[in-house]
Amino acid sequence: MSKSEFYIGWMANAPGTFAKHAKRVLLILFPVALIVAYLLATSQKKFSSANFEYGKLTELTGIYFNKPVPLLKVYDKNREPITIPLVGYGKHGAETAIMEIENERKTSLNGKEVTLKGTLLYGDGKTILQIDKNDKPLVNIGSGSAFSVVERDLGTQTIRGEIVDPKCYFGVMKPGEGKVHRDCAIRCILGGIPPVLHVQNKIGESNYYLIVGPGGEKMNEAVQDVVGEPVSIEAKVMQQDDWIILYTDKESIKRISYAQLRNPGAKVIACSSMK
Amino acid sequence: MSAGYAAVGWNRQKKIYDWIIFGFCVLYLLTFVVLTAFFNPDYTFETVLIRSTSTLAVLLLHIILSIGPLARLNKKFLPLLYNRRHLGVTMFCIAAVHGVFSIMQFHTLGNVNPLVSLFTSNTNFNSIAAFPFQALGFFALIILFLMAITSHDFWLHNLSPKIWKTLHMFVYLAYFLIVMHVMLGVIQYETHPVFVILISLGAVWLIALHLIAGTKEVKKDNQKFNPGTEGFVYVSEANEFEEGRAKIFCIDRERIAVYKHDNKLYAIHNVCKHQGGPLGEGKILDGCITCPWHGYQYLPHNGQSPPPFKEKVSTYDVKVSEGKVFLNPNPYDEGTERPGASIN
Ligand code: HEM
Ligand code: FES
Repeated sequence: MSKSEFYIGWMANAPGTFAKHAKRVLLILFPVALIVAYLLATSQKKFSSANFEYGKLTELTGIYFNKPVPLLKVYDKNREPITIPLVGYGKHGAETAIMEIENERKTSLNGKEVTLKGTLLYGDGKTILQIDKNDKPLVNIGSGSAFSVVERDLGTQTIRGEIVDPKCYFGVMKPGEGKVHRDCAIRCILGGIPPVLHVQNKIGESNYYLIVGPGGEKMNEAVQDVVGEPVSIEAKVMQQDDWIILYTDKESIKRISYAQLRNPGAKVIACSSMK
Repeated sequence: MSAGYAAVGWNRQKKIYDWIIFGFCVLYLLTFVVLTAFFNPDYTFETVLIRSTSTLAVLLLHIILSIGPLARLNKKFLPLLYNRRHLGVTMFCIAAVHGVFSIMQFHTLGNVNPLVSLFTSNTNFNSIAAFPFQALGFFALIILFLMAITSHDFWLHNLSPKIWKTLHMFVYLAYFLIVMHVMLGVIQYETHPVFVILISLGAVWLIALHLIAGTKEVKKDNQKFNPGTEGFVYVSEANEFEEGRAKIFCIDRERIAVYKHDNKLYAIHNVCKHQGGPLGEGKILDGCITCPWHGYQYLPHNGQSPPPFKEKVSTYDVKVSEGKVFLNPNPYDEGTERPGASIN
């Protein structure tokens, strides 16, 4: 620059060499913005194809159970059961909404055929129903009904995976797992949404297990510190229709490394193939 | 320069500057959103908003932190420095969209207050991999907030430039917190190496730039002068001065700007009262020494800002004898009138 050229910001026009230099800087900065946006946007992990039918209400008729977690068993054309765990509005479990219905109707819903209205979430072969008292979820209560739950004892196993909250995982949030989503998963589970263990085998197939205490009690608070982290769980494994349930306790859930998670043991694959 | 809370005047350059910032942000956000929608069609609106704004804020922060050292190394970066605070406020606003949306997304509709949830969900404060990274982002956002609301010169005067400058040095703490927020957050989740590569490149770039600019400054400060008589030291030949410009000398840690104006030499303290800009790198405009950073002005013969402004800097004695310039590094009280030294 010529030595006497001088820039000062309150002048209406920057002297020529300053203006030229500023243009050159912008010619670098704008492409940098494009490149950074491109690199970051295209390197994000693929989002799951799970779906939350936000704003759309669906009525489902099935048998309501409050154990091992609040759920509705709906039967398809072939009388095959589809187990649909229930969750509440926001980061809450379904218990409060169910309790309000039971108090209002002065009857227990457990084991009864009911028609519930709510918002569906689904992904990877699993379905969840959100019931919110503002949607007036109870459409009809039928009588106690004849049903048979097929249970199979799969013995005691050690299973590795990540504890997720099924509401976010199966559609409300992308991503609904891992470190970035961890705080939210903890909040959802502390709010009553049942913890679920997500397990993946070597070829990327997933399976999902409901986690409850040794006697079927809630484990929501017990798992707080290990949600969204790689864990191994030693549990009594029971298959109940189309979901598998892990009966375990706090001491049997251990944090492991990501390397250990990526090389799941043979037992995990055995369980996954139950699908 | 006045201590009142005057509305900021928007001249043509400021308008251009702001339009460029606006265009830059829109370009980045659109590119990010469109590419995410195209390559990752199962995205949700919330996630793409949270991610596009946060990464843009970090990109802007790198630009902001680069401008200072770049302007020290090359004066042609000064046009970027002059309105840097606009860039800072913009960056805060974008980071705030990210922070507020993250709190809404991950912490509202739960069984406790969202801010309580922010600090009580993940409590693994003693683990690195599991560390609650969101809390780090929260504290960074608070720092950026304090800087943004105090960016007007009104606060500079009310808090005193020293406190203001200290507060604004916290931007480096904010930067560190944000780097950790990213390292312990998204980098523990994503598997593509580009995330860790970009944030590391950014850190290396900023550290290198600050080191280079800093060494240059230190070299200047360590210039050696022979002690002279009666406190005066020889600094330069008189014919090396250019009319309306200055040379800077650092004697006994005192940085002094010696200006040539109307064929006389005047010496004032080199540090601008506004934000410590190097007055000796400025120029005389309309008879006033004008700071190159934001244009504060001082009269050469007494170091005072022309009325109604009240800034004052120290003045010094200069002597010219047989074409040689001698300078006395003992400062006079700020605003003390000195006669200057005729060159001929
Ligand atoms: C209240 C304050 C903040 C909260 C609660 C917060 C929360 C979060 C969360 C939950 C994520 C992970 C999102 C995801 O990838 O799905 C994230 C990522 C990120 N945050 Fe923050 N944050 C805050 C402040 C900040 C600030 C001030 C900055 C920097 C200016 C920042 C920069 C980033 C970046 C660059 C990412 C990575 C984005 C990506 O996924 O590619 N955050 N933050
Ligand atoms: S430092 Fe701002 S005008 Fe001098």
